[in-house]
Amino acid sequence: MELKFLASDRVEAFVSYIMQKKTVYAPQRAGKHSVALKKVADPGAVVLDYARTMQSVKKFFLPPRDELLQFNLADQSFAPAEVKPLDAVLLGIHSYDRAAIDRLDYNFSQGHAERNYLTRREGVVWVGVSFEPDEFHFSGSVGIRPHDTEGFDVFLTRARDGYLVEVLTNAGRELTAGFDLPATDQAKPQPGHFHQHIFLPQAKLNEVMGASYNNPVWEETAEKCVGCGSCNIVCPTCYCFNVEENVDIKVSGGTRERIWDGCMLREFTEVAGGEVFRGGLAERQRHRVMRKFKYLSDKTGHPWCVGCGRCTAYCTAGISIVSIVNRCISDYEKHAATAV
Amino acid sequence: MKLNELVPQQDPVDLYLPVMSEIRDVRPLTDLETLYTVALPDGRDLGHQPGQFVEVSLFGVGEAPFSISSSPTRKGVFELGIRKVGLLTEKLAELKPGDKVGIRGPFGHGIPVEKFRGKDVLIVAGGIGLVPMRSMINYVLDRRDEFGRLIICYGSRSDKELLFTDEMESWRRDPGVDFHVTVDRGSPEWEGNTGVITTLIPGLELDLGKTVCCVCGPPVMYRFVLLALKSRGLPDKSIYMSLERRMKCGVGKCGHCQINHSYVCQDGPVYHYPDLKSLEEAL
Amino acid sequence: MAAKPRVAIFDFTGCEGCELNQLNFENQLLDMLEHVDIVEWREAMDDRPGEYDIAFVEGSLSTPDCIKRINEIRRRAKVLVAVGACAVQGGINGMKNTQPIEEVREEVYGKDKYLFPTLPALPLSAVVKVDVNVRGCPMTQMEFLKVFTALVMGKKPVEPTSAVCVECKLKENECVYEKGMICLGPVTRGGCDAHCPSFGQYCTGCRGMVPEPNLKAMEEILVKHGLSVNEAWKRLHLYNTHELEGLKS
Ligand SMILES: Cc1cc2nc3c(=O)[nH]c(=O)nc-3n(C[C@H](O)[C@H](O)[C@H](O)COP(=O)(O)OP(=O)(O)OC[C@H]3O[C@@H](n4cnc5c(N)ncnc54)[C@H](O)[C@@H]3O)c2cc1C
Ligand code: SF4
Ligand code: SF4
Ligand code: FES
Repeated sequence: MELKFLASDRVEAFVSYIMQKKTVYAPQRAGKHSVALKKVADPGAVVLDYARTMQSVKKFFLPPRDELLQFNLADQSFAPAEVKPLDAVLLGIHSYDRAAIDRLDYNFSQGHAERNYLTRREGVVWVGVSFEPDEFHFSGSVGIRPHDTEGFDVFLTRARDGYLVEVLTNAGRELTAGFDLPATDQAKPQPGHFHQHIFLPQAKLNEVMGASYNNPVWEETAEKCVGCGSCNIVCPTCYCFNVEENVDIKVSGGTRERIWDGCMLREFTEVAGGEVFRGGLAERQRHRVMRKFKYLSDKTGHPWCVGCGRCTAYCTAGISIVSIVNRCISDYEKHAATAV
Repeated sequence: MKLNELVPQQDPVDLYLPVMSEIRDVRPLTDLETLYTVALPDGRDLGHQPGQFVEVSLFGVGEAPFSISSSPTRKGVFELGIRKVGLLTEKLAELKPGDKVGIRGPFGHGIPVEKFRGKDVLIVAGGIGLVPMRSMINYVLDRRDEFGRLIICYGSRSDKELLFTDEMESWRRDPGVDFHVTVDRGSPEWEGNTGVITTLIPGLELDLGKTVCCVCGPPVMYRFVLLALKSRGLPDKSIYMSLERRMKCGVGKCGHCQINHSYVCQDGPVYHYPDLKSLEEAL
Repeated sequence: MAAKPRVAIFDFTGCEGCELNQLNFENQLLDMLEHVDIVEWREAMDDRPGEYDIAFVEGSLSTPDCIKRINEIRRRAKVLVAVGACAVQGGINGMKNTQPIEEVREEVYGKDKYLFPTLPALPLSAVVKVDVNVRGCPMTQMEFLKVFTALVMGKKPVEPTSAVCVECKLKENECVYEKGMICLGPVTRGGCDAHCPSFGQYCTGCRGMVPEPNLKAMEEILVKHGLSVNEAWKRLHLYNTHELEGLKS
C-alpha cells in the first residue's frame, strides 16, 4: 500500500477540503476532559489525538432517542419517521469503533432486517485514525490493533510531524482526490503497546466463560456495582432499546420512539406484576459480560466486546471488564490444574 | 462468519410500523380477562401458527406482546385473550367494537404442529396460559383425524378465574377430549377438583410412546409440572414449553426477551424442552 | 372526550418552588385548562363536599393538622399525585428527622415550641396512598406535563426508575466525577433529563433513590472520591432521609 503524508499543519486544510464534498463528523472538545463526535463547523476544532469519545459512532445509526412513528390520536393514523442515509464522512474513528459497527450491522441485518438502521448506514465514508492505547484500552486482546485499517476508506496513522495516509477504497480516492498528499517513504510506525490484556484468545474464552456461570466473581462484582447502567449505555456494541410514547400537551398526537436501554438496569426484564427475571445485580453483570464474551461469540465466532475500555473508564465504581474476564480465566485454569 | 461481508437476510423493512386493525367483538371472560376479536384490514388473514404472538399497540399508550388465542383454521379474524394488569392492558379493556388497535406480527416460533401430528396431544395450561393453548386445542379439534387423543389439563387459582368456561363445557362433553380442570381454591359452589395443576398429572391415562405435551403457564409452574411429567415417564423429547419474558420489539432487536443466548421472541416462545437445558436462566 | 376531569391543587410545608414552577407554564397553561377544570387552586380546604378526579399535592407533612388535611384530600380524590421532593420523599424537610424532634422545635419555634406540635417531616405516602409521584426539587416542567397528559388520557403515568447516569450518558454529558466533583447520579432516579449535570452542577439526589439502591456500593464510590463515610451519608440524606430510614428497617 502506497503511503502518503499529511503534515500536522495541513490537517485543518484537509478537513476543510473534505467538508466541501460531504458533511463531516469528527471528534471535538466537549468539556474540560472529554471529546465527542460532532458535526464539524470549524475545521480547526477537530481533535485527532484523543483517547476515546464517551459515545461511539453508533449514535449516528442508532440514535439515543430515535423516532419510529408519529401518530394522530383523533383519527388513529400514523406516519413513519423520516429516516435518511447519514451520507457523511466519519473522520478520526478508531479501529475498535469501526469493528463495533460490523457487530451492529450483524444485529440489524440478520434475521429481520431493519430499515431504520440500515438506511442511516448508507453513504458513509470512513476515515480512521490510529490511537495510542491508554490505561483502559484492550482491543489488542480481541484482535483489533490501533492501526488496523479494516473497514476504512482512508486511514491516518500517527507519525512524526503528521499522519501517514492510506487511501484504501474508491470512496477514499474520491474523497481525497484533488488534495495534495505527497508520497512518503516513512515506514509505518509500530503500534502503541496496550496496558490492559485479556490473558486468553477468544477461541478459548467461549469455553472459559461457559464454565464460569457460577463463578463467585459475579456476586463479588455485584457488591461494588450500583446498577447505574452506564456501562451499557456507553458500549459501542450494545444495541438494546425500550420504546416509549410521547403525547403532546394538546393530547392530539405524539410520537413513538425508541430509547437506548441496558441489561444492567433493573426494569429491563421486569414484567407486569413486578416479576424481574434477572433481579440481582450479579445476574445482570453476568448477562452483560456473557453477551460480550460468550452468547454472541458462540453464534458468530467473534467477541462482542471490541476492547474500547469505555465501560471501565466510565464506571464510577471502578468495575473492570478485563479484571472480570481474567478472573474467570485464572479460576478456570486453577480448576483445570487441580482436576488433572 | 465474516462480519464485514454480511448482506441483509431480507429486504430491510419498517419493523415497527403497526397495521391498524379493527376490534370486531369484545367479550369479557372474567373480571380481569377479555376476549377480543380482531380483523386485519381488507379481510387479510393473519397466517399464524398456534403458540405465536402479535404485538398490540394503542397510540400514546404503548405496545405489548399477546398470544393469539384462535386457531389458524378459523380464518378471517383472530382472537386475543388479555388480562388487565398494567398501562396498556387497562386501556385495552376500555375498547369497544369498531375501535382500532395496531397489530404487528405474527412473531416467534409457535408450536411445531407437525411434531404433534399422529400423536396424542397433551396440553398442560395454568391460568392465562390457556389463552395460547386454546389455539392449539381448537386446531386439533378442527383437524381431528390428523391427531390422536386430545388430553387437556387446566389449572386456575379459583373457579371465578376460569377462562373460556363455555368452551370448556363442550370439551368436557366431547368424547374425543380427555378434559381435566382443577382450582387452587374453590368457592363454596365449586364441585370439581381442588389442588394445584400437578395433582392432575398422576391420574392421566397416557400412552407414553405416543404422547407429545405442550406446557404453558406462570413461571413458577414449569418446574413442578416437569417433575410430574417426568415421574410419569414422559421423555424430555416429547415436551414443549411456551415461555414468557419481557418483550418490546418482537423481532430480535431490542434485547429485552433474552434468556442466556436465546431470544424468546425469535427462538421461542415455544421451546423444545431439550433445548432449554442449555439455558440456565430459562426455568 | 367525556366530562373534563376536575383537578384540585393543595400545598403543605414546602418551599413553593414547585408550585411556582407549575404557574410558569405560560404557553402550556391554556392547553392544560382545555382538558381539565381546576376546582381549587391553593384554597384553604372548606367543607364543601365534592370529588376531585385528580388532586396534586405539594409539600411534606409536619403537623398533626397536615395529617388531618391529607386524609381528607385522599378521601375526596380519585387520583392523588404527590408533586415535588417534599411531597414524595419528605424532601429537604426530612433532614430534621435525623435531629431529635425536641431540638428542632426549639430551633424553629424557640420558647413557643409547645404551641406548635410538630412531627418529623413525612412524605405523603407515609400517611396516605399516593397514586403518582412527580419527583424533583423542583419538579421539572417536562415531567409534570408528561404526568398531566397521561392523567388526562386516563392512563397511569410511567415513573422513571433508572439512574440519572443513564440520562447523562444519553446526552453525552461529561461525567461529573471526571470534572472532579461528587455526584449522586448513580443511585438517583432519573426522569429529569439529567438537569443538574447538564448545567455544570452535580446531582444532589432530589428525585429519590432508584429502586433497590446498592447503598454500600454508593458509599464506597463516595469515599473513593474523597468523602468521609460521615460526609457520604450526609450527602445521601439530604433529600432522602425518610427513604433511607425506611430502607434501614
Ligand atoms: C409471548 C408472550 C405472550 C403473551 N400472551 C399474553 C396473553 O395471551 N394474554 C395476556 O393477558 N398477556 C399475555 N402476555 C403478557 C403481556 O405481554 C403483559 O401482560 C403486558 O405486556 C402487560 O402490559 P401493560 O402495559 O398492561 O403492563 P405494564 O406493567 O404497564 O408493562 C409495561 C410494558 O412492559 C412490558 N411487559 C410487561 N409485562 C410483560 C410481560 N408479561 N411479557 C412481556 N412484556 C411485558 C411490555 O412491553 C409492556 O408494554 C404475553 C407475554 C408474552 C411475552
Ligand atoms: S457502570 Fe459500573 S456501577 Fe454502573 S452498572 Fe455498570 S458496572 Fe455497575
Ligand atoms: S464491553 Fe466495555 S470494553 Fe467491550 S466494547 Fe463494550 S464498552 Fe467497550
Ligand atoms: S422482544 Fe425485542 S429482542 Fe425479543
